Amino acid sequence: MRAILKYTALTLFAIPWVLVPVWLVVVNSFKPAGEAAELGLGLPRTWAVAENYGIVLDRGGYLTGLLNSLKVTVPIVVAVVLLGAAAAWAFGRSRSRWLQAAYFVMGLSILLPPSIIPTVYLLRALSLDGGSLGYVLTMTGCRLGIVIFLATGFVRAFPPDLENAAAIDGASRPQVFFRILLPLLRPVLFVGGVILIINVWNDFFFALFLLQGSANATLPLSLFQFASGTLQSLNWNLVFAHVLLTTLPLVAVYVVAQKRVLAGLTEGSLKG
Amino acid sequence: MVMRNRAAWLPWALPAIVLVTVFFVAPFLLNVRFAFSSWTSFRAEITWNGLENVRTLIDQDLLANAVTVTVLYAILCMAIQNTVSLSLALALQRTNRLNTIFRSAFFLPTLISPLAAGYIWRGLLAPDGAVNSFLGIEWAWLGEPSTALVTVAFIDAWKWSGLITLVYIAGLNSIPKSLLESATVDGAGPWTRFRRVVFPMLAPALTFNVAVTLVGALSAYDVIAATTGGGPGDHTRALNVVMRQQWGQGFFGSASALGFTVTLLVIATAVPLVWWLRRREVTG
Repeated sequence: MRAILKYTALTLFAIPWVLVPVWLVVVNSFKPAGEAAELGLGLPRTWAVAENYGIVLDRGGYLTGLLNSLKVTVPIVVAVVLLGAAAAWAFGRSRSRWLQAAYFVMGLSILLPPSIIPTVYLLRALSLDGGSLGYVLTMTGCRLGIVIFLATGFVRAFPPDLENAAAIDGASRPQVFFRILLPLLRPVLFVGGVILIINVWNDFFFALFLLQGSANATLPLSLFQFASGTLQSLNWNLVFAHVLLTTLPLVAVYVVAQKRVLAGLTEGSLKG
Repeated sequence: MVMRNRAAWLPWALPAIVLVTVFFVAPFLLNVRFAFSSWTSFRAEITWNGLENVRTLIDQDLLANAVTVTVLYAILCMAIQNTVSLSLALALQRTNRLNTIFRSAFFLPTLISPLAAGYIWRGLLAPDGAVNSFLGIEWAWLGEPSTALVTVAFIDAWKWSGLITLVYIAGLNSIPKSLLESATVDGAGPWTRFRRVVFPMLAPALTFNVAVTLVGALSAYDVIAATTGGGPGDHTRALNVVMRQQWGQGFFGSASALGFTVTLLVIATAVPLVWWLRRREVTG
């Protein structure tokens, strides 16, 4: 009885919290402009699926945005996960004071907000401003901290016996890293990696300052430019079609990974 | 043996240290200088000018309002987010099939970009939108000074609640079952169990979530850009919104000063929280 009550309450909460927002986006992205302007939740009286999505793909810069988003997200996630794991190994095992001091700085970088304006200045000085390389390097530098922090805790929780035994057997350091350490860190790197993908894919603030011109625009930037182009009265059908197409790749990643993400987060694999 | 050689660890950490130093620490230090420098698009030279940027921002009535809006926004965001997430976590704590489906559903908003979340709720909350027609009223949630800030904070909280729920579930699952069982044997009801056992044991997760949500919301920008753009008037003009405007107008020094203000607010929020957490670990 109590269970029935609980799940009824949860369902009643999930309807406005999840279902209605999703439905609003989907159904209005199928309507012609005039009908979508009513922002109703009913089915389209006239269907305009092909037109709307055609316009978003064509004028909304969706395909360029998708390519640009992939072009920055993949290198950032790979760099943060690999370099972060390598650094976490050093921070977790070495007793050097210098490295421990460096580890403390990494911790600070999680908490403190990145200074975006000096970053633009710095990238300009390095002739890296406006393009995706500067963006990739900046995002990597600003997101390494959290992965290092989580993975170092994980490394410390494991005794180094396995690594020592492998070294005695003649394994080189890179071999130990790839064969023993990375598999060991897999749960924490997996969860960290998925959160990172979500974070980088959806980043708007850094992109707004660091990426210039529509040739470099990632999906959130292209959504913003597309929506701001008609600021007086948003073309809701097109904005929602863009929102749907922008979110879909992440939903796909999540559907594949959700079991391990949910299990990893709720059963505390982040604690090591 | 090789693994004990201290110097040999450095190459493993070096790439990460270099990237964080160049792209996080260096801008951070530069910001301290730029915040107190004259630097505009009209004069490329960057010269020390003390508190001139701060004075200009105060004279234009920008700074005090932005700080107030940012702090209020962060508190509202934190309160909404943690209330919703803790309630959901308590309901979905046990891992079974039905709960997993609900957890997945409530995680969905986390996948949506804050910008897109802003557009979605701007549509739902439009004066003639779905929310108002359900409530039978006509109200510009984002257009009225009295509700704009709390509405934007709500959207931000909506976007992140799924992730925070999972952290709370992890916290709940780390409470030893024996503790709850012995409390039940001693005659404690559900409410007493929650107040005397669950809530105190949940303190680390609570502190973590409160800190993360506060610190995150102090840097708010995306949702505001997609919904109100800082309006009506200056009621949702948070620090980062003003920073972007100053930057766009070519006042780079003033923009740096605003960014530095966000940093100071974060430090003022985070230091006491971390200190409190450390002390708890020592005594508890």
